[in-house]
Amino acid sequence: MKACELIRGKLAEYAVGGLRRRARARVEAHVGECERCRAELAALKRTGALLDEVGADDAPAGTWEAVRQRMTEHPRAGVRARPRWAWAMGGVALVLVALAVLLIGPPRVEEPVLVAAAEADEEMQATMDGHLSAVWAAPLSDVAGVGLRMAALENDG
Amino acid sequence: MSEDRDEVRELAARARAGEVGAFEALYQMHQAGIYTFIRSQVREAELAADLTQDTFVRAWESLPRLRKVGAFRGWLYQIARNLVRDEVKSGRARLEMLASAVVSEQGAELPEPAAEGERPEDLVVSEEVKGEIWRALESLPAEQREAVVMHHMEGMGMKEIAEVMRVRPGTVMSRLARAREALRKRLSEYVEGSDEGM
Repeated sequence: MKACELIRGKLAEYAVGGLRRRARARVEAHVGECERCRAELAALKRTGALLDEVGADDAPAGTWEAVRQRMTEHPRAGVRARPRWAWAMGGVALVLVALAVLLIGPPRVEEPVLVAAAEADEEMQATMDGHLSAVWAAPLSDVAGVGLRMAALENDG
Repeated sequence: MSEDRDEVRELAARARAGEVGAFEALYQMHQAGIYTFIRSQVREAELAADLTQDTFVRAWESLPRLRKVGAFRGWLYQIARNLVRDEVKSGRARLEMLASAVVSEQGAELPEPAAEGERPEDLVVSEEVKGEIWRALESLPAEQREAVVMHHMEGMGMKEIAEVMRVRPGTVMSRLARAREALRKRLSEYVEGSDEGM
């Protein structure tokens, strides 16, 4: 009876294949002799067989279509398209820059102009240096627009 | 469910490269397993369907970061598991399932216990028995239930389940053994009989 109690505690592990070779051999030796433990092991195995038979249920109809739709709406992060508003803003910025060039002429940032400006006004030189850096970092920014205007004024002067 | 690992690996590689058709094939291979896995964890069928959608959308978005395409299935289950956990944390779902979702509780006659000499492969699992099995599963702790669903309904091995659950294979084995004991008691009407063929 004591052997049965010890083995009973191991039967489920045996049934799921969780025992090492030596423990497995002990269980097998016991159930070979003990009818009750053999019946218990059989019941545990039948339980596993029932579970195997249940199978999976399909996801509701239309699930793939919904997934597909969302895949289109939310592209992968690595290849994520810019949102439409971002493209629109970029277009507006380009148009504004083009208008600025048309209205006030092309920028003159050549060295001689800057040298001349420095000779005329040291403060203007500092401003233009700062502007040059800004233009280099962000050629389409508002700062660039201000710079264009200032360069034009300088030319006029 | 059995699957051709090479085929999954190839499909996952193509899907990772952006091929929608390959991803659809992966969806068809895994949708039932994922839906059933989620359905075993949350009560509402509609929520389970939503989370199934979320799982595949998240998988599509994250595929470029999956290094081992051969581990696609386990990775997919990890995504589903995390989404269920998040949902439960948010309070929108309970970590429960509803047996009646699988089989209605209309008092259908229960089948006869296994006949003398009947072998497991001879068992025909009716819808009523399925209902009993799901009700029995409902009584299990969530982690045992997860292991049972992945192992018995999806045919996943210990190592793969262990990776999904982020535990050692021995822990999975232990959870399956405890679940087996509990289910054997709850399903005694169907599993007690002859030991022939065992």
